[in-house]
Amino acid sequence: MKPLLKIDEVTRTFHDGDSEITVLNKLSLQVGAGELVAVMGPSGSGKSTFLSIAGALLTPTSGEVTIDGVSLAGMGGQELAELRLKRIGFIFQSANLIPYLKVEEQLLFVAQLAGMDSGKASKRAASLLERMGLKHRQNYYPDKLSGGEKQRVAIARAWMNSPSILFADEPTASLDAERGQDVVRMIAEEVKAEGKAAVMVTHDERVLPLCDRVLYLKNGALVEA
Amino acid sequence: MYLALREIRFAKTRYVMIILIMLLISFLVLFVTGLAKGLAYANASSIKNMAASHFILQKDSDHRFGRSQLTEDTLTAAQQVAGDDNATPINLRMATVTEQGLSLKSDVTLFAIDMASWLAPKVIEGQTITNDTQGQVLVDRKLKEAGIKVGSVLVDQMTGASWTVSGFVANESYSHTPSIFMNEKDWLQLQSFTPVKGQNASDKSYNAIALKATGEQLAQLRAELADTDIISKSDTVSAVPGYKEEQGSLLMMIAFLYVISAMVLAVFFFVITIQKMSQFGILKAIGAKTGYLARNVVGQVLLLSIGSLAVSLGLIRIVYAVLPASMPFQLDSSTVLLSCSLFIVTAVLGSLLSVYKVSRTDALDAIGRTAA
Repeated sequence: MKPLLKIDEVTRTFHDGDSEITVLNKLSLQVGAGELVAVMGPSGSGKSTFLSIAGALLTPTSGEVTIDGVSLAGMGGQELAELRLKRIGFIFQSANLIPYLKVEEQLLFVAQLAGMDSGKASKRAASLLERMGLKHRQNYYPDKLSGGEKQRVAIARAWMNSPSILFADEPTASLDAERGQDVVRMIAEEVKAEGKAAVMVTHDERVLPLCDRVLYLKNGALVEA
Repeated sequence: MYLALREIRFAKTRYVMIILIMLLISFLVLFVTGLAKGLAYANASSIKNMAASHFILQKDSDHRFGRSQLTEDTLTAAQQVAGDDNATPINLRMATVTEQGLSLKSDVTLFAIDMASWLAPKVIEGQTITNDTQGQVLVDRKLKEAGIKVGSVLVDQMTGASWTVSGFVANESYSHTPSIFMNEKDWLQLQSFTPVKGQNASDKSYNAIALKATGEQLAQLRAELADTDIISKSDTVSAVPGYKEEQGSLLMMIAFLYVISAMVLAVFFFVITIQKMSQFGILKAIGAKTGYLARNVVGQVLLLSIGSLAVSLGLIRIVYAVLPASMPFQLDSSTVLLSCSLFIVTAVLGSLLSVYKVSRTDALDAIGRTAA
């Protein structure tokens, strides 16, 4: 089966004064449909860099990233933004919702950005909110929601444009254990239900049983546990 | 505009406050503009009302009527080039007049013109005067408010010359003093009270010559009349004593208001934009393009400035209706249009700093943040 995310020998170096630091060193990874992969590693191991490169926010020094069969090599800023909008879903550490949009509008907004038909968008938003158990919250502003609810809205937003792959940057960091479990379970369920791929960077060992594969970032490369 | 509108809906207080500030500034801009226009007209309306295209003045008179002195030869030469009807002489002097019976004193400008020419003002009340009447004058309506009536006798404080008011004219003033019009005969008589040494009182001399002339005639006149300046009407108006100074300070106020409104908007949106930097980072990470975000910022600025302009235009109309007629205030639609577009342009300029800031936001900021 064709992988939805393919990272091929990606290297990324940074300049630190005169010296050069290699953060990622010939890192390779393939994630297929229906797969939730957890990436762990201590602070400073390059998790953020890994996620930025895989999520088309940062260009690798060498190597190639392919998302849903499309190579990112040589793409300009506008093309990358377009690709992030339609093919990639992001979930950040704190939910990072737009404070002045109501829950439903958070979803409609990204649909509108991607040019989705408004009738189709409101149907999809309604069904996503239903699945996330947020139907009764759809006309609330984010500041009225609990941390877990906010993160669930963020998940719904990430799935809104039916991306091929979802990236989550420590989605449970600001949640207690139980809510963290819920959130990751929802991500896992959506991955299975929609046949998508997901990569989650996490520190939280309690959610690992919900993941299909657990990888560790060591010396700039990913290794199986 | 999706984001722009919803943000205004969410943060009502914040945006109502900025709209209020914009409203006050735009109201002031329009009001001071109207005042400047009104004062400009009230200051030199006698000159502005003259149907002349140009004026001939003596060289080195600094474009001021009072300083200029022309001979009859100049008038004859001008009439030969431009045609008899198209060049007509003007005399003027500032004076203080008193009204017999009233303890009223008033600074006025005395104009002597050919009452048969196109310079003769339109009478709105009473009888007009001709070149043959004696001791009769036309006075500006403003003196009426001071208690002067048709038939009142005005006495020149310096010479003791006296005239009877024959009629009133509207909107005639020079250097903010009401104008009084007389014919040449009365002017010569007035001159005989203050003879100039070495000069015969019956020698005709003029302060200026009003012209209706084409470009070709002007060139010819300039070549023939070496000892004169031929200047356009607008140059003459700005040389009226006090005109430039008054308009200059009002113009400076208006210019400052534009700069202030641009600065207020720039600072307000800059602060808001800085607060939202992480938000813009997130939006960019999930795929919003810089152009889209910039359009929302500029859209908000446009919305706020157009909204506040609309309200202040309404306010101006109300104020205009309430103002007393003697208040010099003039605001025609072309001036309003110009002021409004200028206001909108400065507002958009003020938002450019924020747009720049938005364009500099990096989507990478979104990754690895604990709180936003």
